[in-house]
Amino acid sequence: MAGLLTLNEVEVRRGMDVVLRNHHLTVAGGQCVALVGANGSGKSTVLEAAAGLLPLEKGSVLHGTTVIIDHEGRRRTGPLTLGLTLQKNGVLGSEVVEEHLQMACSMGGTSTDAAPFLAAFNLKHRAKDLVAHLSQGQVRKIAVLSALLPAFASDEACLLLLDEPSTGLDDDAVKVLCGWLSALRQRGHGLLVATHDQRLIEQATHLHDLARGATEPCKAPTDHPDITTPSAPSRRCSPAAFGVKTHLQTMLWLNTNGMAALLTLGILLAMGTFYPDLSPLQQLGFLLAPAFAAGLCGEPLVAAMREERAASWWMAVGGGVPHAGWMPLMIGTVVTAGASVGFEEPFNGLYVLVGALLCFAVWHGVRFMQMATVRLARPHAAMVGLLTPVLILPYAVLIDWLTR
Amino acid sequence: MKVANAVLFAGFGGIGASMLLALLWAPSVSIDAFESPAAQRIFYWHVPAAWAAFIAFGALFIGSGGWLFKRSERMWRLHVAGSEAGLATGLMTVWSGCVWGAAEWGTPWDWTDVRLNTFGLLTLLAVYVVLGRNSQPDGVETRDTFAAFGLYGFVLVPLTYIATRIWTIRHPGPVVGTDNGGSINSEMGLVLFFSAISFTVLIVGHMMASMRLTDLEQKLEQLQSQTDKVV
Repeated sequence: MAGLLTLNEVEVRRGMDVVLRNHHLTVAGGQCVALVGANGSGKSTVLEAAAGLLPLEKGSVLHGTTVIIDHEGRRRTGPLTLGLTLQKNGVLGSEVVEEHLQMACSMGGTSTDAAPFLAAFNLKHRAKDLVAHLSQGQVRKIAVLSALLPAFASDEACLLLLDEPSTGLDDDAVKVLCGWLSALRQRGHGLLVATHDQRLIEQATHLHDLARGATEPCKAPTDHPDITTPSAPSRRCSPAAFGVKTHLQTMLWLNTNGMAALLTLGILLAMGTFYPDLSPLQQLGFLLAPAFAAGLCGEPLVAAMREERAASWWMAVGGGVPHAGWMPLMIGTVVTAGASVGFEEPFNGLYVLVGALLCFAVWHGVRFMQMATVRLARPHAAMVGLLTPVLILPYAVLIDWLTR
Repeated sequence: MKVANAVLFAGFGGIGASMLLALLWAPSVSIDAFESPAAQRIFYWHVPAAWAAFIAFGALFIGSGGWLFKRSERMWRLHVAGSEAGLATGLMTVWSGCVWGAAEWGTPWDWTDVRLNTFGLLTLLAVYVVLGRNSQPDGVETRDTFAAFGLYGFVLVPLTYIATRIWTIRHPGPVVGTDNGGSINSEMGLVLFFSAISFTVLIVGHMMASMRLTDLEQKLEQLQSQTDKVV
């Protein structure tokens, strides 16, 4: 069986501790490897390193034959479909259950009917509900299904990484999960499961003991439920598409970027009695200030995606953290046009275009700064806003250039 | 630590002496050349503070690179020292510049001047690195993140340095080390030189003390971790 996952002499640090040292692990198609060890032994670290979520001090991680991350910081998207369940559920409360599962399935380029799987987990009646309305155990079931569905829908071997998938599940759900793991393994997919649950350990073909660093074969059951999963090709959901959809559903952008633009415009209009007396440079600064202010707030999804480590799930499976995509262009257009109306300026297409591009560039520039702090233990405390003045000089230069 | 303290106090003493020289001994400047001749004496604080800031940011750059590429604990301590020294001297430069600008130009700041804004950004970067690092637990994640900022932020240093040579907008150009021999007389140069030496000694002493303090903090953290495991 071809190797789906290989950890080559991997060394990983967390905080100041070396959690994994010279660690070697392989998972081939048709194998279910159970990661066992005491609390704090590094099971989650192995799994997250396998997903490419952790930087490596030494060694490399391969999916198939492709190095997805190495100790020199090189990263590539793997060729395999990845199913991932972290210790946190990796799903936003604002998502609809059915839509989240379809989105997860689309990561493998396929779509399938999730209803039978939801029914097996006693969640069929919740398919149209928001995740926020579910109990923690029910959300955990959705997180597990997000990892398994792409593999069920795929004809090619997939790599599934599951961290304590049975946590919070009732006995019936664990029984169903065991059957699914067996079915997936026998379809040729590779599974790496970090668990303390003896019922899941019994499904394993191999046991990898972290304390000894050794993998031993064991006898796994051969029976499995007969599951047919008709699937169809589906377009992969991109981080930008998901980000735009989330922004439109939740109106997150209005709370930060929208209000900043509106307040800026409002304050300037309140002082606008002397607007006609300003120089052209100052007048243009007034017109473009709301778009600039909207962009300076950055990407609100960066903070929102910290919920249940959804950002980590997206980085591993989706190839990037969701963002607003083209929306800043639209917001910049609207606020600049609104400023023109407010200041009774004749419509100037060039200025509106500049406002749109300015909002877009500043928004994504600040997002870039926000993303630089995602590895920190307390990213919200890092005060990225202190760096935003770096954008004021280019803004001033732009205004100066436009009014020459 | 005794050596670091001695150097630090020598630097403070030198700065105090240079301030007295600037206020009492340095020659006055012509009313034709300056709007506020009295405020010009800030020059003897402002320029050496900027010089010391460049040294500190250089240390930040070297320390950041040493941590990222060599995982050197000593280089990490240099990063910490450089960021704190850069913050202190950067703020000194910006504050003294604003006071002088308000008196000389009628405005404390000019958003279109490249020198002012790049130096302001350098100082803000130091604020961000120091405050941000203090908000996080020590670990590779914290060190990698802020070392990366220290490394890439250094690009502002040469930009700030050449800004007044290429884009003379409001901040005046160099007065020392130019092809035409500069525009300050020997007495002014002497006070400036003495002040620059004092600031250099101060910043070196500050960084030595800071590196020693960081070393002691790390040793304390290790002892605490060992105690955690025993308990």
